[in-house]
Amino acid sequence: MNLFGFALGNLYRRPARSSLTIAAISLGVASIVALTSIAWGFEASWQRANDARGTDLIVTRIASENAMPSPFLADKLQATLKGYPHVQEVVGLLSEMLSVGDNAPPVFVFGWEYRSYLWQHLRLIDGHLPANDTDADIVLGSLAAELLHKKVGDSVEIEGRQFLIRGIFDSPAVVENGAVVMTLTLAQQITDKPGKVNILNIKLDDHASDSVIDDFKTRVRETLPGYLAITSGELVRKNAVVRISKAMSNATTLIASLVGALVVFNTMLMSINERTREIGLLLALGWQRQTIVKLIVSESVVLSLAGGLAGILIGIAIAGGLEHVELMRGKIEAVFSMPFLIAILGLSVVLGVAGGLYPALKAARMLPSQALRQE
Amino acid sequence: MVRIENVALHFDDGKTTALNGISATVEEGEFVAIVGPSGCGKSSLLNVIGTLERPTTGEVYFRCQPYSNIADASLFRRQHFGFIFQSFHLIPTLSALDNVVVATIGCPGPAREHTQRARQLLAQLGLRDRIDHFPRTMSGGERQRVAIARALINNPDLILADEPTGSLDSVSTEQVLGVISEIRQQRGITIVVVTHDPEVSGRADRVVSMRDGKIEPGKEYRQ
Repeated sequence: MNLFGFALGNLYRRPARSSLTIAAISLGVASIVALTSIAWGFEASWQRANDARGTDLIVTRIASENAMPSPFLADKLQATLKGYPHVQEVVGLLSEMLSVGDNAPPVFVFGWEYRSYLWQHLRLIDGHLPANDTDADIVLGSLAAELLHKKVGDSVEIEGRQFLIRGIFDSPAVVENGAVVMTLTLAQQITDKPGKVNILNIKLDDHASDSVIDDFKTRVRETLPGYLAITSGELVRKNAVVRISKAMSNATTLIASLVGALVVFNTMLMSINERTREIGLLLALGWQRQTIVKLIVSESVVLSLAGGLAGILIGIAIAGGLEHVELMRGKIEAVFSMPFLIAILGLSVVLGVAGGLYPALKAARMLPSQALRQE
Repeated sequence: MVRIENVALHFDDGKTTALNGISATVEEGEFVAIVGPSGCGKSSLLNVIGTLERPTTGEVYFRCQPYSNIADASLFRRQHFGFIFQSFHLIPTLSALDNVVVATIGCPGPAREHTQRARQLLAQLGLRDRIDHFPRTMSGGERQRVAIARALINNPDLILADEPTGSLDSVSTEQVLGVISEIRQQRGITIVVVTHDPEVSGRADRVVSMRDGKIEPGKEYRQ
């Protein structure tokens, strides 16, 4: 038996308390893992959607902080931007979250300019893309088709208007897989936003360098008051939903960490109070005070690490489960990274040390003769 | 080996006096019994000798080293002293073997060697078949022999025993006293015992009688 074996034995002999402490920590860690992975997934999914479309820059309203930037009239601005150097295409995009059919959860509806480059990254699984700008034809992401129980040739009702499903596609981004895509003209009609877009996608030619992108941004800032040219990554980070979800995940991390440390602190404090005579005995046997500290901190770190590991597994399960909840499907995606999971385990160790340090120091400061007299 | 010079020990901000100006010596290899009525300060004196209590005034020397100069009392205890208590103080969730090994945690040397030495000690004390048993399944005499093995595991120079037979029946008392006598003969360890039991004090080289925190003059005798 060594110090670590003795510490494990001490936890094993109080199974109910050890299990409850591990459960409390694991729930906190699970909430961190689930919320953070979804926040990251949300960001990553929108980033992938923008990247997959091949957009180099996005022009949007400068003050827009919504999930999708506020709509604006595009015609004049679009014409101006087309005159900028190296610009190949300027394509409007309108997006809304709409109910499709009866009793179906709302889905993203994207309106893309007909025949623009935005359509090119979609991989058609079945059917065709819309044949023209005005016919009431749409294409569905594979996940949206599954959610709505629709196939090519079926029709769906959106905002009181019937649309024919012309095709079903796959996209690298989960937000597009869970979406309905139609032409911009149709999207403007059904949302009563004629001529308006949320963003203008800019595709530059192959000769455009980083300095061209910087010049473009500067020119928009200086000559188009109220508008902003940013990269898709900057747009995603500016997105209010991404920012709120990240803030929530940070707040959860902070609260769960505090609660976790307090749970460990309480458990270890109760434990050393119950073991006063035992600690007095160990001191009388010649255990050095730092060995007592190591023992108590080892116990608290084992508890918090076990809670951390269980919490990671529960968090992954919760996030995975939320991805498949009907209301959430196609809108959220959990992203886990090994560095993040290792950081969570590191956080668990920190919680263990933080929660166990004071009880450990208190135990180490005991006077052996007094501790041995304790009933 | 141990020299105690005018040691006083007060508790509760001086309201309670446990030791009141004690001076005494313990020679190398000696077996000293401290006797006296309950509350006379016997255990407090043992605690002071064993560095479990720091005297309020006075000084204690171990092989000429003053206790006030000891930087790490825990390490000093481990290097020089072995304790035996009336209520055994075994850890209920550890086996007999682990109750002995626990005293070696943090000691230099491989854990395997410590465990091997603990096995040998328990076997020497007649507990070869009880090594994996837990305290609740052992008799009082067996438990106290485990505690004696624990006191011996770090090869102490001085055994400090506080009422080692206080919780034992006459058969177990005889067993434990036999073990203590054997240890003395084999290892030549110095022993200081606090006891009410004439059976125990009868085996000591010297008996010191205490009353009201003081050594009673004229009541110290050699056997």
